Amino acid sequence: MPKRIRSKIARGSADLAILSLLVEKPLYGFEIARQIGERTGGALKFTLASLYPLLYEMERRGWVEAHWQANAAGRDRRYYRLTSTGRRQLAPLREEWRSFFHALDALAGVSHA
Amino acid sequence: MLDWKKLLRKRLSTPDLPHGTREEVIAELASHRDETYERALSTGATHRAAVKIALQEVGDWRVLAAQIDAARPKQGSMNYRTKSLWLPALITLLGASVSLAATQFAGLRPQQVWIGGMGMTFYWPWLASLPIFGAVGAYMSRKAAGETPMRLAAGLSPALVMLVVMLLILPWGLFLDGFHFFRLVHFGLGLINWVGIPAAALLLGALPFLRGHNLTAEMNQ
Repeated sequence: MPKRIRSKIARGSADLAILSLLVEKPLYGFEIARQIGERTGGALKFTLASLYPLLYEMERRGWVEAHWQANAAGRDRRYYRLTSTGRRQLAPLREEWRSFFHALDALAGVSHA
Repeated sequence: MLDWKKLLRKRLSTPDLPHGTREEVIAELASHRDETYERALSTGATHRAAVKIALQEVGDWRVLAAQIDAARPKQGSMNYRTKSLWLPALITLLGASVSLAATQFAGLRPQQVWIGGMGMTFYWPWLASLPIFGAVGAYMSRKAAGETPMRLAAGLSPALVMLVVMLLILPWGLFLDGFHFFRLVHFGLGLINWVGIPAAALLLGALPFLRGHNLTAEMNQ
């Protein structure tokens, strides 16, 4: 099981994590947190306190749009959908992190290879 | 059951957020907490442990409130009310009015029902169309995070407008023509005809959209 990444690193990668999920389909907050936790084997973990300020910030920047939608049980959830502006952020963010890992690898040999 | 909304209202101090935006944030965070709690229960946690897990999601409330205050788009309360009440109500009213006009324009004659020598007019095709508009109003209000009374008001707006109009007309009628018992009975029939029955038809369409999103009510059940 991967070791949990400390909060500062997790926070730095949060934009990429959230945008990467939302590019697939619109999701609501709890589901975003759950999927990030599951897909990273618990290495990245978002709580209510860490997730929503990020989502609201993205909404303010126009990267995501939110709308309320009810599930089959009648419970309403606020779904976040990636906008075209948000979609445009994804490629540079991915490239930025790729460069970061290459640089870190060259310096500290952090990759598996 | 814990009332997450009540708890959040108490703990989350966001003075810069307009009321509507704040209520929307509280509804969203309450929903998250509820799901965290239910997920903990489903993994075998006791009620007490599940509540503790849900509560542990926030360390410092002041930090969270400040972050939300800074990040949340500052949507004005008027804007929220416009989206969750006035706009859905206007569209419902417009739809119902156009439907009535179309019924008359198409030459469909109303059915006259006589009760004690006084007539009631029923435009059945129009009445049959009202549940659709009631549903549209309540749905639009719910989509904009409107509370149940807002959804109800939006869905019933044509009947409410008619009620206001009739209540304004009555004193004038009594003032101009003089008080008469039959005039009051006629007014009562008019209320049933143009307010009560349309309201029932609109409510029929609005009902499915009055549920949901009101987590406080759900949790208190």
